Amino acid sequence: MCKYSTKLIAWLDRELEQEQMADMEQHLRECGECRVNIAKYEGASQLFHDYCNAVMTAETGRDRRRWIPLLSAAAAILVLVATTAVVLRNRVQPLSPSPAAIVQPAQSPLVPEPATPPANAMRLRRARAKPVRSQAGNWLPLPPQPAVEVAIPADSMFPPGAVPEGVSFIADVNFASDGSARQMRLRPRLTAIERSAPQP
Amino acid sequence: MTGESVQVTLPFSCLASGAREVTALYRELREPLLRYLVCLGLSKDEAQDVVQDAFLSLHRHLTAGGAQNNIRGWLFRVAHNQARNRQGSYHRRFAEPLDPHFAPMVDESTPERMVLEKEKLHRLEKAIAALTDSERECLLLRATGLRYREIGEALGMATSTVGDTVERAIRKISEKLDV
Repeated sequence: MCKYSTKLIAWLDRELEQEQMADMEQHLRECGECRVNIAKYEGASQLFHDYCNAVMTAETGRDRRRWIPLLSAAAAILVLVATTAVVLRNRVQPLSPSPAAIVQPAQSPLVPEPATPPANAMRLRRARAKPVRSQAGNWLPLPPQPAVEVAIPADSMFPPGAVPEGVSFIADVNFASDGSARQMRLRPRLTAIERSAPQP
Repeated sequence: MTGESVQVTLPFSCLASGAREVTALYRELREPLLRYLVCLGLSKDEAQDVVQDAFLSLHRHLTAGGAQNNIRGWLFRVAHNQARNRQGSYHRRFAEPLDPHFAPMVDESTPERMVLEKEKLHRLEKAIAALTDSERECLLLRATGLRYREIGEALGMATSTVGDTVERAIRKISEKLDV
């Protein structure tokens, strides 16, 4: 084995003293074996560099891949929430084909009903009361209106003959925040008069 | 073995402006430090944490009037020790197969060439995994551009020992790969 062989990598890394560097360069001009070894060590060093680059590339890719499922899950949840909101909205609205005919203000029980709904159908509508703005510009609390009104035919609650013909009831139901019914108030109305009333 | 190695003595004599020098050093060494730590097995997030901590330690070290020569080696030593404390991550790189990571290195010009390249990569993987910890660490630090003297400071080894270790490691890889 050549006596210079142990210094080849230090020479490659320029870690030898100046005199040793010059000596090695002189030797390399004459020694074919060392030139071959130098080429080998350069190749191995380059491969090791490539290895480090590959590891960094892989780690960066792993970083990106880790975000993909999180972003996908967030997008899926967003779509689910939006779809649910649309479906719920569509399920509530068809129950009130003619809002003016069903929902009445709590203070005026006897209002004509222009439409002719099925006799035993219970109808729901969510009343949306708008907040009122005071002169000072502050928003006042909502008036105590029922959130939901249910129209119930009289013959479904009382025995036949107990209620005069042509009378039905409006049930004003107030719900608590947890969805349970907090208060219900029945208001009579004259169906016969409402049905014969002119359309607005 | 100190022929052309550069004595890195940073102008920290004016510690009032030390933060500026730390910032300059951060710009210069952040990427090499990250590369070293990730190659040791830390995730990129872990590596970034370690780099931040290392620079905080550097700031404290300089503020306390610590030694200013071989500051690159000092910084790598702090980062190396913190990586060593995360033993789980430290050995991860060499415990899992590396094959899928080498796609960018494979020459796909012909199917035969591709097979040969993949075969070589398998052997490279095995050769690197077979190195001792200190051989691997020396090669990693050398690949980030550190001089032997700086590697010695980082790993707590004599400069001559670093030279011997690097030579032994390169020989091993060269023999196993037959390059």
